[in-house]
Amino acid sequence: MPPVIAGFVGAVTAVNRAAFYFAILLIYLIVPVMLIDVAMRYAFNAPTVWGMELAVLLFGPYFLLAGPYVLHQKGHVAMDLLRQRLNVQADRLVELVNLPIIVAFCAILLWFSLPAAIDSFNYGETSFSAWNPPIWWTKAAVPLSLVLMLLQALAEFLRVLFRAPGTAGLHHEEAAL
Amino acid sequence: MNSTAILILMFGGLTLFMLTGLPIAFVLGGLSLLITVLFWNPQAVIILVLQIFDTMKSEALLAIPLYILMAALLSRSGVIEKLYRAMELWFGRLRGGLAVGTVVICVIMAAMTGVVGAAVTAMGMLALPEMLRRKYSPELATGTICAAGTLGILIPPSVLTIVYAVTAQVSIGKMLIAGLVPGLILAALYIIYIILVAWLKPGAAPLREDYAPAPLRQRLAALKALVLPGLLILLILGSIFLGIATPTEAAAVGVFGALIATAIERKLNVDALVSAAADTGKATAMILWITIGAKAYVAIFTGLGGADSLLGMIKSLEVGPYVILAVMLLILIFLGTVLDEIGIILLTVPVFIPIVKFLGFDEIWFGVLYAITIQMGYISPPFGYTLFYMKGVLPKALHMGIVYRGIVPFFLLQGAGLLIAMAFPGLMTILPRLMEN
Repeated sequence: MPPVIAGFVGAVTAVNRAAFYFAILLIYLIVPVMLIDVAMRYAFNAPTVWGMELAVLLFGPYFLLAGPYVLHQKGHVAMDLLRQRLNVQADRLVELVNLPIIVAFCAILLWFSLPAAIDSFNYGETSFSAWNPPIWWTKAAVPLSLVLMLLQALAEFLRVLFRAPGTAGLHHEEAAL
Repeated sequence: MNSTAILILMFGGLTLFMLTGLPIAFVLGGLSLLITVLFWNPQAVIILVLQIFDTMKSEALLAIPLYILMAALLSRSGVIEKLYRAMELWFGRLRGGLAVGTVVICVIMAAMTGVVGAAVTAMGMLALPEMLRRKYSPELATGTICAAGTLGILIPPSVLTIVYAVTAQVSIGKMLIAGLVPGLILAALYIIYIILVAWLKPGAAPLREDYAPAPLRQRLAALKALVLPGLLILLILGSIFLGIATPTEAAAVGVFGALIATAIERKLNVDALVSAAADTGKATAMILWITIGAKAYVAIFTGLGGADSLLGMIKSLEVGPYVILAVMLLILIFLGTVLDEIGIILLTVPVFIPIVKFLGFDEIWFGVLYAITIQMGYISPPFGYTLFYMKGVLPKALHMGIVYRGIVPFFLLQGAGLLIAMAFPGLMTILPRLMEN
């Protein structure tokens, strides 16, 4: 693999790894926020106006931003019974066809979600609830996660393209459910 | 291109790319978006963007990572090991006792979190070596673990039931509680079967000749292991059943309980917290990205009139409602063997629920039937989740063929459970109906 490309692949994966750990650790913000809300509601009969809403607003960025690195970890569930039987060359070819589909998915969705997120930011969109916080940041997670997913799919594509001939790639492990 | 041609292209593309091992989220999402942009109406993608924003705001779906986190923490806490030791002390004297005890523990784990993978992995690591050491037939041992592990799908709380309830737009609390009775019926079927096998074929589940029961005091002391799980179950199910808290709020409290349990066992540290969060984030991201892909697929399928023409076709059929119901369930059982279950729910519920409503069936009852077919999918090859978990913990001396043989009787028992659930709709919905009052 040429050094430029190796650098790109490594950088994308590192960024997505950071995004993954940022996202998954949000759960330790979501849980306390909900617990405060539950405690205030049931123990003191004084529910917070922000508790549940903040927890739900964090939910979108939580699962969206964790997604790209899960692609690198082969954690997105797939049916690869047939592929495991393919020889190394055929397997490589299949991956080179499959990964651009992920790129296309991200690109098309990005094309339509980016304007929606930009509009939300420009209008300073708020949730119109009792608390009424700004919500553009949670909508911005959609195009951001799509860019990251697109880059990760591209990185995985390059990884396969420049893989030493005759070596097999990793297969999808079955995701924990 | 006309709509029929597009629909054919969608089904064909789905099958083809599914087989090539492209992640299901992108098979569904990528295919739908490419077809929409190339052959249909690109502006329809905006609807999908709005649906994604809606999904992100779903308080109900937020329960998914919370229940998974609870399972991830509990499996690191050592609580399950203690439960298992208690079970060994109490059931060890019974013929087939270890297998019966495995079912009992799976019921308890199911009522705590309902994450199938956690139950199968834990029992595969704890109960399987012990059963094999005592010369249980490997088929019986592995079949029991696979089948009992899937009880988490029916017995509340359950991640898959939440996905069903959100997609079918029925009360999540009622749908969760509805799983309790059929879940316990299935567990009872498994236990009866194990006891029968143990009596009819003593070689399949032998008693140890030198077995000396532990002293009563030791056995009573072991029951302490039940206190914490018991409290958690009471708290979660009780608050959902009595309508005190939403399933999502109950889940947050459950995570708190799991954190305390882990702390009591002195297993709470940064490593455990981070790795539990990583497992949770991975599983949740996988489920929710599939959700996005499936929503895109369904949006096009209904947008092109696929769902309407299917409903119209069924309305014009001259067959009884139970025949149509049976066909739908057979389709679900078949799909369960070849496809991921989250994908099945997201793809078929929007198509099936209008049919169920038209036939005049109860949607909660249908949800119970759905959950049972999903359990069948979970243990049946080639695409059964429990088989993958089992593969991960299987001793080298055994091969997957033994597991495949082992699940056959349990698959049939699940089929029997499905027939029972179909025959007694009143029994299945008795608890959710109590919740209304």
